[in-house]
Amino acid sequence: MLESLIPLISCVLIAFSIGSNDTSNAFGISVGAGIITFRKAIYLLGVLVFIGAVLQGRNVMRTVGKELVVLNLKILCVSLLVSAFVIIFANWKRLPVSSHQAIIGSLVGSGFAFGSVVRFDTLLKIVESWVISPIGSLFLAIVVYRVMEDIFHRLPVFKVERILRMLLILNGIIIAYNTGANELATALGPIVCYGILTPLQAAIIGTVMLWLGAFMLSERVVETVGKGITSLDAFSGFSAQFSAGISVLIFTTLGMPVSTTYCIIGGIIGVGMLKGVETIRFHLLRKIMLSWVVTPILTFGICCLVAKVISPYI
Amino acid sequence: MIFGSRREKEVIKLIKEHLNTVLQACEKFKTGIERDDEKALKDVCELEKIGDTIRRDIALKLYEGAFIPAVRANLYRFSEVVDEVLDTLEDCAIEYLNLPEKLDEDVKAYCVTIAEINLKMSRDLVLAFESLEKKADLKDVTLKIRTREEMIDKITHDLYRHLMQKDVDSFWKGKAISDFIVSLVNVSDLIEDAGDIIQILNVSMR
Repeated sequence: MLESLIPLISCVLIAFSIGSNDTSNAFGISVGAGIITFRKAIYLLGVLVFIGAVLQGRNVMRTVGKELVVLNLKILCVSLLVSAFVIIFANWKRLPVSSHQAIIGSLVGSGFAFGSVVRFDTLLKIVESWVISPIGSLFLAIVVYRVMEDIFHRLPVFKVERILRMLLILNGIIIAYNTGANELATALGPIVCYGILTPLQAAIIGTVMLWLGAFMLSERVVETVGKGITSLDAFSGFSAQFSAGISVLIFTTLGMPVSTTYCIIGGIIGVGMLKGVETIRFHLLRKIMLSWVVTPILTFGICCLVAKVISPYI
Repeated sequence: MIFGSRREKEVIKLIKEHLNTVLQACEKFKTGIERDDEKALKDVCELEKIGDTIRRDIALKLYEGAFIPAVRANLYRFSEVVDEVLDTLEDCAIEYLNLPEKLDEDVKAYCVTIAEINLKMSRDLVLAFESLEKKADLKDVTLKIRTREEMIDKITHDLYRHLMQKDVDSFWKGKAISDFIVSLVNVSDLIEDAGDIIQILNVSMR
């Protein structure tokens, strides 16, 4: 029982970290635009994350916890501890690191190092979904932007503004739901599939920790992201966020752990392409793509190293 | 209320009130100088005070979070410019009341014509805002505002040419007339600015 505490605490830390950092994905724009208060957004987030984790979280939990690596307690402890460390360190240093990639990289790394079975067909599917989901979001954003432009062009400005406010809240709801069904589920998958917690217990503990992270630490991030995006262009922000929400929802249904942040970036690039390639900041894109490649490799490497170092003692 | 449409409706209602106040002030001012009606000119000052209160209410509602930022900033600027129209009309009324002696009839005729065009422009501004609200054609009405402003510029040049041929008894008398004309012409410039902001608002969500 005592050994189970390490992966449990690690998961709790990851959930807390997701809450503190990723709340901005869901309600950043709405809070920044003053459509909803931070407090209301946080309560709504808590409810939707829980619903997402309970209704659809099992799909992603199964992929991450059951179909990727044959788990044992050593793998669980090393992978989740390293993931938690990397995610918290990245948040602290403000590095663009995806929690999904950190967890998947760690699980595969420690599974490989401890000589367990790593299912490369599942790994390949996951990597494919990491590639396809932002690209899908990119094309969807183009379609959404074009359709909106076409419809809204015929409506009075105040009506457009009102519809946009409702759509931004709808976006927030979809992404908050995805946070529970995908992001939190990725963190909880290993401990649920190993039997440390039941899916419902994991959903409750995970939601509470995520909510606490959001409540205690996310306000500044939410405001920064929200004001930053809306000051650019409300339509672009909406199109990118909406397409990301739909893309993640589709991959959640398929049980694939994908990053909302990367999908939003895909959506932003899509809208940027519509407005002219010169509007895209390629140096920033290169940095993000580098992180996309480095994060899983780095966590894989750290887990291998940690596993080799501690193997003689356990 | 999550979607907050109540606050937005209140702001639109207040803006309409603000624009109607400008319309009334333009009417009173025109009547005031046409008939040398002191009461009508003093009413312009009262309307300016009402306008101030409306502007404060608009600012407060916008500060509370009415509308998304893309629209909010332009609406705030719009209410400020509309309020400047009222401030300038008040200046005109006071300057007219403080003129050392009555205007010559020929000069007054020019001023009444300008005041009449200002009144028409304020009606156009009301129409422009209604068009923005209902997605009617904005181009025609904003073009009208611009054309009328150009007319005022032309009249002003004629007026100055006319004034330069007149003898002025004292520096202060000349300055008082000049200040009054500057303020009077400034009203049309500000109404044109407000019309431009309506155009900006129209494209702000595109």
